[in-house]
Amino acid sequence: MAKWFQCMKVVWSNLMVYKTNFILQSISPLFVFLFIKASLWTAIYKGAERVEIGGYDLNQMLTYHLWIMVVTLISIGAISQDLSQDIRLGRITAYLIYPFSLFEFHFSGFLARQSVKLAIALFTLFGVVLALKLPLSVTSGGWAILLALWAGLFWFFLNYFFGLLGFWLEETWTLGVMSQVITYFLSGAIIPLELYPLWMQKILFFTPFPYIGFVPVKLIMGSEVALAQAFAVLTLWIAFIALCGYGLYKRGLRLYTAAGM
Amino acid sequence: MLKQIQQYLSVYQSFVSTSFAESMNFRLHFVLLIVMDLFFYGSAFFTIEIIYNQVTVIGTWNKHQVMFFLAFMLSINQLVMTMTSEAYWRFPELLKSGELDFILLKPVNSLFLTFFRYIRPGSAFNIFFTFPALIYFGVKVDLTPLAWGLLPFFLLFAFLLQSAIDLLIATSMFWMLEGTGMNFLRMEFQQMSRWPDFIYPGLFRNLFSFGVPILLIGSGPIRFLFNPNDFIPFVAMLGACFLLWVLVALFWKKGLRAYESASS
Repeated sequence: MAKWFQCMKVVWSNLMVYKTNFILQSISPLFVFLFIKASLWTAIYKGAERVEIGGYDLNQMLTYHLWIMVVTLISIGAISQDLSQDIRLGRITAYLIYPFSLFEFHFSGFLARQSVKLAIALFTLFGVVLALKLPLSVTSGGWAILLALWAGLFWFFLNYFFGLLGFWLEETWTLGVMSQVITYFLSGAIIPLELYPLWMQKILFFTPFPYIGFVPVKLIMGSEVALAQAFAVLTLWIAFIALCGYGLYKRGLRLYTAAGM
Repeated sequence: MLKQIQQYLSVYQSFVSTSFAESMNFRLHFVLLIVMDLFFYGSAFFTIEIIYNQVTVIGTWNKHQVMFFLAFMLSINQLVMTMTSEAYWRFPELLKSGELDFILLKPVNSLFLTFFRYIRPGSAFNIFFTFPALIYFGVKVDLTPLAWGLLPFFLLFAFLLQSAIDLLIATSMFWMLEGTGMNFLRMEFQQMSRWPDFIYPGLFRNLFSFGVPILLIGSGPIRFLFNPNDFIPFVAMLGACFLLWVLVALFWKKGLRAYESASS
């Protein structure tokens, strides 16, 4: 346990050294994204003949996007560039002899970053609820945060998987960016999923994407959500991607030449 | 002057050929770059399609006008991704490792050598998607013959303004230890500029048109193409382009003076 804590401390102190970097890389994109969406939807509602679009009036739409920002702060993290670079440059050799594996190192880093992001998300959540006097049930809010954390775990395993492809590929950042583009689009982070074609909505609920943004937000907004299904689908995806990652690591190590030593 | 242009063109030709040779060694990455951009373009167009299933206009623009605007911005994005994007990510490393020294020693403009050295051939390939989309939506919005004639020049000006803003942000890396955050800031500005200026509230519209002129990149030329009487944003765009390139030259010189050459 002490090893995990020491690793997390290193990541925290790194975040403190490069504070501007962390804010510009992880926090401010979400605020900018919120600003663009708030401006866009306000302009859309100004020109619309109807007061409601997809069952949302303007206030509900803005609230939806505000909660999307808070939820995705927890559920969507950084991409896999570091891991694949470490593999390419032979930097993972040390972890083959350390009493702390490569996975443990990356997972502790993830926990450290996630704890900071969770603190910021909770601070924003309560700040917004108090400032704008928005209704929030503690139970559904709690479940939403838990689901977002679970989705964050999926995101970590997905990116760890992409990072491990560094055993075979020169660059893996394109996969990370691609997954980010797809996730933002299919998780309801840009447009609520109710506005998507019905056939697409049906398929989407078997994928992990709605549980990364849309479902936790609906929970916060007080809608009825099939919680058991949400956790079940997400857990299956986490198990699947984690197993694939494990297999990939085992196979990759056989190819690894420790270049750079 | 002509001789100098010829010299720079031949240097750029070498950059293109070495970048192509390099990318052919990593063919899967080459393909992934193309697919990544296509996903991005697809999601951007599909987002507008979904919105316009619910409404007929945003501001005063109909679906095809917004699609044309988006196609224009994606063409600029594609040019940036092809010609300069890679260099912005490599630049902090050049500063930290002191490798910029080797660039400064060469008898070619150091700004040119630093930011136009790395070309992404994978992204260049997507010209076969962005430009046809621009032409398709240009036909849909009934562009006048004059507008068609001006379009290539407007693309060039928009690219120059986008690059000037990006370069100004990049020069700040001389004074910062880490450049990743600044690159994210650059991308956030690009994201904001991908929507027409009229969606933003007045104060921010003015700030991002006349303070940090990111909204002029697309809205300046496109508003002029749709309505030649609406020329003020376009004139402002030309002015901003000139002013920012002067500032880039100035800050680059200042930055070089602040550069500590880590290797020596």
